[in-house]
Amino acid sequence: MGELPDKLSLLQVIIDRVSVGIVVVDRNHNVVLWNSFMENYSEVNTEDIIDKNLFDSFPDLPKNWLERKIQNVFVLKNFSFTSWEHRPYLFKFQHNRPITGGADYMRQNCTFLPIKGDSGDIEYVCITLFDATDISIYENMLKEAIKTLARVSNQDSLTGVYNRRYLELSLSREFNRAKRYGHPLSVVIFDLDHFKSINDTYGHMAGDEVLKEASKRINIALRDSDILGRYGGEEFVVILPETDLNSAHIIADRLREKLADEPIVYSKDVLFEKPEITVTASLGLTAMREDTLDYQTMLQEADSALYQSKEGGRNRTTKYEFVSDGSVSAPAVSAPAPAPAITAPKTQTIEDQVESEPVDVDSELKDVAFQETSELIQDGNVIYITIGHR
Amino acid sequence: MSEDFEDLMTNEHYEVLTEVVNIGMGQAGDSLARFLGVFIRLSIPRIKLVKADDLRKQLVELVGNDVEVTGVRQAFFTHWYGEAITLFDQGGSKDLAKLMHYPDDMDKETEKELFLDVGNLLSGACVNGVSEQFGIELNYSPPSILSQNVFVEDLFAADKMAWTHSLLMEVNFSMEEYKFKSHLLIMMTEESIETLAKDLERFMERY
Repeated sequence: MGELPDKLSLLQVIIDRVSVGIVVVDRNHNVVLWNSFMENYSEVNTEDIIDKNLFDSFPDLPKNWLERKIQNVFVLKNFSFTSWEHRPYLFKFQHNRPITGGADYMRQNCTFLPIKGDSGDIEYVCITLFDATDISIYENMLKEAIKTLARVSNQDSLTGVYNRRYLELSLSREFNRAKRYGHPLSVVIFDLDHFKSINDTYGHMAGDEVLKEASKRINIALRDSDILGRYGGEEFVVILPETDLNSAHIIADRLREKLADEPIVYSKDVLFEKPEITVTASLGLTAMREDTLDYQTMLQEADSALYQSKEGGRNRTTKYEFVSDGSVSAPAVSAPAPAPAITAPKTQTIEDQVESEPVDVDSELKDVAFQETSELIQDGNVIYITIGHR
Repeated sequence: MSEDFEDLMTNEHYEVLTEVVNIGMGQAGDSLARFLGVFIRLSIPRIKLVKADDLRKQLVELVGNDVEVTGVRQAFFTHWYGEAITLFDQGGSKDLAKLMHYPDDMDKETEKELFLDVGNLLSGACVNGVSEQFGIELNYSPPSILSQNVFVEDLFAADKMAWTHSLLMEVNFSMEEYKFKSHLLIMMTEESIETLAKDLERFMERY
């Protein structure tokens, strides 16, 4: 055993060999200590920077910000920190993942420590710099994975809109928020009319395409804060935060028009030549009232309004309105343009090619003259106001 | 176990601690005010021994539960072990940005950095303010975001607490001409309550 080095030279060795950058500056930002880590990565030798101003040697440093950061430590005698997540690096250093890392410079976590001098006052600030490149790479991978996971678990795989799980989660959250702040909240449920016959006539692939296109159209028509999800089958729910019943009624009826006004062209079809499928929807909506118990109640109310739309002849919007004194508010206005149901495919004979019966949706809607209607149905304290056309 | 902790700190201990924390926080408020160039109003610190099961209820009592908050946490260690948690009211970030010379048009990441910066500033000043009264120097971990835009009652998951008792000190800040308000919670571990009780004994002998 050789003689142990004295404590001070031992410290010197450790400071030089440790894989942490260590810099000490005084009040004027002159460098007092610069360890080997700093020397190696910056390619500035210790003897060339000691007693020199840090900012003169590194003009790339974010001077204003860093001066303030150091000043904070002197004034408040307080630790201070920076994280690669918000400020990727302080010094432009190479890192140990130049090929596989995907990061330009070494990611750095820095700590600023107040150091007392002989006077007992803070005379120096020690900056320690940790290489966080590896951490940042893993963290980014993790973030990507979480993002994918969140997307997969919140999204309906067919249509790409939110799934039922996420819908209910969001509705419960929005419900609590609206209730707490006394803000309005509305919910719309809609169901594609005669969806089964689309599947029966054109096949399930076409049905899928219709679901996709329908949710796309609705999604485009919504605001950023609105939440659209597939509730199941051909049933969808739209959450409208900060929206009262009357505004929601107008929005909902606009959504109805988005579907009915223009047929969906099923372009992938091999049997029919790009059939144009007119899809309509029946909608029901409700808004949160002071006495609304929970979000499930809202779904039930919207659903019962949807039922009124179906009963009333489909392709219409009904709002659920609870009136305690029996007074009735005026129905909202809508001006839907009439549209044919299923436009005949460009080849004339559906029946010849597929052995299926003529479609329900065809016979039921084609012959009816479209006209705007508004209807009031009173059922106890609930008034259903329907707009649509037949 | 629980009685042990309740017995560790006598009424006299609490009285002295309240006094010391009051002085420490006052000094912290002073240096923060000088640093930020605004008048800072600090509440009288409140100190409680809390059980993990009661924490939510206690926090709601101290802080209220009417607005969503963003929480920044930071560990302090060596002599005492614990975490300082700064709670910012939602919507105060514009004011904070002005105060800290951050740009007006912050993106989400910059806003986080701002919260971390101010959280570090407030908790560092206050914990230091208290530890200095005892002549103790502490170390600090980097701050991190505890949660963003949640109601106070949802800040902690009670079933995930690895402790049963904690000493909780609460102080709140408001600044003249600025809308935002923030709360600082200093929470110490069970072992540190014992240490603190001894520190208080020594403190009382000295004065």
